[in-house]
Amino acid sequence: MIKTNLNSRKIIGRNLNQSIILVLLIIVISLFATLINPRFIRVTNLINIFQQISVLGIIASGIGMLLISGEFDISVGSQVSLIGMILAMIIQKVGGLPEGSNPNGFNSSSIPLAIVVSCLVGIVLGFINGTTVIKSRAASFIITLGFSSIYKGLALLLSGGASFMLFGKFETVGRGRIMNYIPIAILFFIGVVVISHIILSYSKYGRYLYAIGGNKKAAYVSGINTDRMTLTAYVMVGLLNAVAALILISRVGSALATTGDAYTLDALAAVVVGGVAITGGEGSALSIFLGVVLIGLIGNALVIMNVNPYLRDVVIGLIIITAVTISRITSRRR
Amino acid sequence: MESLTVLQAIGFNKTYPGVKALDGVDFDLQYGEVQALVGQNGAGKSTFVEIIAGSIRPDSGQIKIDNNVYPYLDPSKSIELGIQTVHQENQLVEELSIADNIYLFNLPSNKIGLVKESNCTQAANELLHELGIDIPAGKKIKQLTFAEKKLISIAKAFSRKARILILDEPTASLDEKGKKILFDIIRRYTQKGLSVIYISHNIHEIFEISDRVTVFKDGKKVSTQPIKEISLNDIVRQMIGRSTTNLYSREKGKFQSAEAGILEVIDYHREGVIEHVSFQVKAGEIFGIGGLVGAGRTELIRMIFGLDQKDSGKLIYRGKEITPTNPNDAIKKGIGYLTEDRKDSGLIMMRPIFENISLVKLAKEANRMLNLAIERNETQFISEQLNIKTPSISQLVLNLSGGNQQKVVLAKWLFAGAEILLFDEPTVGIDVGAKSEIYKLIDNLAAQGKIIILISSDNPELIAVCDRVGIMRNGQLITVLEGNDITEENILRYSMGVNEKD
Repeated sequence: MIKTNLNSRKIIGRNLNQSIILVLLIIVISLFATLINPRFIRVTNLINIFQQISVLGIIASGIGMLLISGEFDISVGSQVSLIGMILAMIIQKVGGLPEGSNPNGFNSSSIPLAIVVSCLVGIVLGFINGTTVIKSRAASFIITLGFSSIYKGLALLLSGGASFMLFGKFETVGRGRIMNYIPIAILFFIGVVVISHIILSYSKYGRYLYAIGGNKKAAYVSGINTDRMTLTAYVMVGLLNAVAALILISRVGSALATTGDAYTLDALAAVVVGGVAITGGEGSALSIFLGVVLIGLIGNALVIMNVNPYLRDVVIGLIIITAVTISRITSRRR
Repeated sequence: MESLTVLQAIGFNKTYPGVKALDGVDFDLQYGEVQALVGQNGAGKSTFVEIIAGSIRPDSGQIKIDNNVYPYLDPSKSIELGIQTVHQENQLVEELSIADNIYLFNLPSNKIGLVKESNCTQAANELLHELGIDIPAGKKIKQLTFAEKKLISIAKAFSRKARILILDEPTASLDEKGKKILFDIIRRYTQKGLSVIYISHNIHEIFEISDRVTVFKDGKKVSTQPIKEISLNDIVRQMIGRSTTNLYSREKGKFQSAEAGILEVIDYHREGVIEHVSFQVKAGEIFGIGGLVGAGRTELIRMIFGLDQKDSGKLIYRGKEITPTNPNDAIKKGIGYLTEDRKDSGLIMMRPIFENISLVKLAKEANRMLNLAIERNETQFISEQLNIKTPSISQLVLNLSGGNQQKVVLAKWLFAGAEILLFDEPTVGIDVGAKSEIYKLIDNLAAQGKIIILISSDNPELIAVCDRVGIMRNGQLITVLEGNDITEENILRYSMGVNEKD
């Protein structure tokens, strides 16, 4: 009995422990980077880091919640690319860009139209992913791998391989700053983190996600409509991808069929490093947030420390492997 | 023929947490003999043969084969010694051919290790012909019927030059024709020196095929006798033995009241699984369902709860039809289902106690947000009421003992306010103290006028807890025992289909 108690205290503290480890890691990396280049710790650089990770953070929050329910979506990068492409094409074609190609000047109503369509496309992509995963009963990892290829192909087909410039017509979301100081993108990022925290910790829906990820059969017998919850989670991921695409395209100022591709790996890395169990049922919005910060920090720190930036992917890969190994070892001890 | 011992078990002991699965079992198998093993669910037959097959190690005891003594066997050693097991479940690879399955672990290969398909098929065809099984070896397993698959499993055992063959419920999925082929094989090969350990619940066929019969009861061997010197009734009596001391007993029918409401289960049927089952349960009554494993009890309950498809079946409570279409619907109509396997489908092990307790109630109510303070208070209250032993309700369910885990599942359904409770093996794998606590809780629920249907393979439990006991066999509700007729002997007779006069 005493033995079980000790053991269980360890497990209760596990989530908190993981967050503490992440915070410590973040501090260590920050100190290191500051020692090598004191510019790192400047507020402008810190704000810069947060602005850079907003897109990643929004995508990661989505797949983090989805992974808590036990499902994967590795098509997120391609979704962002496709949505971004559609967004840029609408602004360019309906708006009449480059300026001068349309005698009436730039049609500014193209922007709200593009935003609405992007969000709708995000929802539809999420719906398609979710429905297929549920109906096929196949591993979501593989199904969304297939969709990743499809969405990437669609983005290429739509663009014909060309880049779609926005000529500075859609800059507010990605580059705008409130009072010339706080980037709007950061507000979106923080907003998404807060909302996902509310969903996961204070809503029934969040509780169901944990339950389904923890034991799908038990959740179903307990009266939870597991299919509907899973579908909703995919739709949520799609919508968040649309928000991420808005910010990303706005910041970059143009869309390519591959703009969002790299985000799949980084978002998965952030979520896994953030302590979401890949089998589902465990994780929190805060820890996903810390995972995102860590991944974002590594990229920035390497640049600031004047290390070859290509090393970033190697480091992130090592971190994923380490994080998963540590969590496997701790769970085996149970 | 002079008798010759091919296998001897000396003092097998095996203890699992809370259960003494085998208790000093001695056993011997003679050359050319068919020896039947019988006993109730959980009597220790499976554990016993698994030790011989090498998949379980005994805590103590010895296995003697051909004058060599082994403390335990592992599966490859067991096979090397000529021991082959045909399991109850199908263990064939569906996508491969019969020939490939038969020679899966010793495929005839050429010098460089390549398998020549035609050799393999030819060898398999010869073997099947020799055994009198008329199926072409090139066929894929998935094209076969259940009976044919069973025959192939048996053929597979013969491909490895078996001297000792263990058959676990071989006729459960065999039709009459298949059974005839099997018995013919057994008779021919035992004359050539094969020895067979034959486990079966079908007592009639034991008299047809076996030379001796060994009865197990609560992990102990009761007797081994030549089949000619024992009657069917003797066997049944030995399987029951002296009844174990009852830890619990309650007055029958003390809370039931037809006025307070009747649950009518009408004509539940699914082709080949459940055969037109109907019964009624009164409010405040505990209705038990007994029967052998595989009799269709769990399948019936799952259909009633709306988990599995059915061809027909209606559920009527207080005159109103409430047949659920899915678990969510069942819960909203006041039905609760405590599943057989709490780890598999009862609990979310990695989540805290209070989340598990409140889960069904959340799914039942319409609001979208949680009220964490109220949830905590209420789940705390119910956890204290049920005496769940834990320092905190934030504790992960994983850390609780089996009995306390089961109480969490129970708490989940009570918290949701279920009126009709379906319990499937509610006390499996939990200790004696927790068992009697759960019996008291169930009794309390009856006192509150709830309708309770309780499946159990533990016959003394049915006798102690239930007001009436329905017995199922082969998907049918054979009879409903009441009052003094609820005896272990009656439950067993009806479960196995043994008449008084046999």
